[in-house]
Amino acid sequence: MSVFDAYIEKVVEYVEALRTRGVETKEFTCLEAPDRIRDGLPIQVGPNAHRGIILRSDTYLELGNPLAGSCAFVLWTDKPSLVSDGKVTLLGPDIQESAGGSLPFAQILIVGGEELSDKDHESLVQHQYVSDRIEGYMIKSAPDRVWSRVSKEAAEKGFDFETLGKALMGIVKSEEPRVQAMEIVFVTTSKEDVEGLANIAAQIRKISKEIVKENWKIRGYDIECASDCSSCAEKLVCDDIREVISVKKRKKREAKAAGAS
Amino acid sequence: MALTKEIKELSIKRYKEERDWFKLNLEGAELLGTEEGELSARLLRILLESKERVVDAVENDKPFIGGYFCNAPEIFTSMGLPWFMVMETPFLAASAPFILQDIDGAEEMGLGGDLCTAIRLPIYYIENNMMPIPTCCLGLIYPCDGAPMLHQVLMHNSNWKNVPLYSCDPPYTSDERAVRYFADELREMTRFIEKHTGAKLKMDDLVDVCERSNQVYTNWQEYMEYRKNVPCPHGWEMGGAQCFAISQCFDVGNPKSVAWFEQLIKVGEDRIKKGLGAQSKEGWKEKVRLFWFDIMPYGWIFEFMPWLEEELGAVIVNDMFGNFPYSLIDTSSEEAIYYDLAKRNLVDAPMIRQARGTAENFAEDIRRIVKDYKVDVVIWPGHMGHKDGAATVGIMRETCRDLDIPFLHIGLDLFDKRYTSIDEVKDKVVTFLEGHGFI
Repeated sequence: MSVFDAYIEKVVEYVEALRTRGVETKEFTCLEAPDRIRDGLPIQVGPNAHRGIILRSDTYLELGNPLAGSCAFVLWTDKPSLVSDGKVTLLGPDIQESAGGSLPFAQILIVGGEELSDKDHESLVQHQYVSDRIEGYMIKSAPDRVWSRVSKEAAEKGFDFETLGKALMGIVKSEEPRVQAMEIVFVTTSKEDVEGLANIAAQIRKISKEIVKENWKIRGYDIECASDCSSCAEKLVCDDIREVISVKKRKKREAKAAGAS
Repeated sequence: MALTKEIKELSIKRYKEERDWFKLNLEGAELLGTEEGELSARLLRILLESKERVVDAVENDKPFIGGYFCNAPEIFTSMGLPWFMVMETPFLAASAPFILQDIDGAEEMGLGGDLCTAIRLPIYYIENNMMPIPTCCLGLIYPCDGAPMLHQVLMHNSNWKNVPLYSCDPPYTSDERAVRYFADELREMTRFIEKHTGAKLKMDDLVDVCERSNQVYTNWQEYMEYRKNVPCPHGWEMGGAQCFAISQCFDVGNPKSVAWFEQLIKVGEDRIKKGLGAQSKEGWKEKVRLFWFDIMPYGWIFEFMPWLEEELGAVIVNDMFGNFPYSLIDTSSEEAIYYDLAKRNLVDAPMIRQARGTAENFAEDIRRIVKDYKVDVVIWPGHMGHKDGAATVGIMRETCRDLDIPFLHIGLDLFDKRYTSIDEVKDKVVTFLEGHGFI
């Protein structure tokens, strides 16, 4: 059982809640073999598929600007049966309907593979940020979210969320052979709907940090200062800092007491 | 006890010399006749205005602040208080002609040669009455081995011991609780400033400054996106250092800073459209894209960076100060403003981001920057003062191995070219890049 299984269920429940509310929903399927997924897409996918950048003046649509609402995370499980393989769900307006605008954007990648483990975690997380691998699509460098641009040229070629979903599936499935099933959820309805996922995202980040910490520990590195103070060579520095803090607090207390009397 | 006229005059002497040195630089930038030259000139004018405000405050007994690094300058800027950064000289004027002499002076005082030069210099200036003595001073108690020593000097120097000092305490972690704690520290800092300067924080003014600051940061991010282009539209001469200085050090939320960034974007966009790289010379080609994971080598930048770019075609596409993990400030309430200012200064800003907490930021930043900026080589300069980073070299190297990206660890002093000679640094870089087949 993976630590994220419960969160996959929460995402499914969240999607169902939006559907029940009557949110416009589209579903696409992508069941081709990894090396065939890219066939038939209106744009190129793969390393260097988009070598340049998308300037503001060349932008058709921006997704996930923090002011509009933005959220992204990856969930993985070693139980592929929890994942509806090949399913892309879009809740809200599509790219082609939103020319010149800025859409709120949540992107959730859910992947399953019997052999997936904590060791794959960082690599899977990095797949959210596709860099130059999708023609006409650029992700801005902002941590913990996907804030991206679709170029006018790509939009003219028919780039939409089906294209984006299939491109992401093609990239992940071809580069992560242990992934047997993959599902994607996009939310573009409103800032509130996107931020409704923020609690799950915050939990995912906490768990993610723990996994990363453990992975480094296995490699012999402690990324957190957890050594014994009595044997640490930097103890004097810490002692100095503590002293400065205690002087500061004492002065504050004294000032308060003087003010009271 | 009031400072004597003589002490005050002496304390501002070096600051004025520094200002005059920047004036000379401004004259040079104005003569360049290029768009980048004009950008440099505009930046220097903003810097000079901030220096003049400090000089005016000293000479006319107006309140002003000695600030530190990552103290949310939006707060005291919105209170209309002139301020300077205690560590300003090594960061802004490290290539000034008097720096090596000052480093020698610091050593003669007995300050250890292993103490970060950016810390040694302000200690030297304070102890020798070569720094403006502010109405009150702000510190930051972060785990840099030199910082506690500098704070002790701020507290005990004979001219400074009556200068009230408030030092924010940045927690080790970066979670919500930590950010809330640091937000409270900034609130306490605000009360401290109000008490000692007589200035009052007006929320409307803070909102204005934060909103302009947001415009600055939005434009900065846009510009950093442009640096992902191949070839990179600018090299070492224009980038993270200038963007950081103008957004965080000179005059935060200044409309002129907003305009400067708009011009930077326009210039960057023009270069991309023309297909221009860092150098416009005919026949020059961008051969290797570097991530310089530290401050730029300000003490000898002109003797190293042009050579790196012109001779080797090696372009620094990003550096520690160009790294952009910032989020904008939500100005909808006081609570939100302090929270976001705390996050920006505790979690996002360079050096504090890396030096203070867990080492994962080193690995995460490398992963993302290498991928986004199409980086070929990661250079950890190994500044002698950055002992926090020295402890994570193994993690950085392993991360680069995972990414199949060469990692070069040099070992130098970013401010003193005598620590590792420039020839030696050049030799290491050439050998490394040749060995990996980039040049």
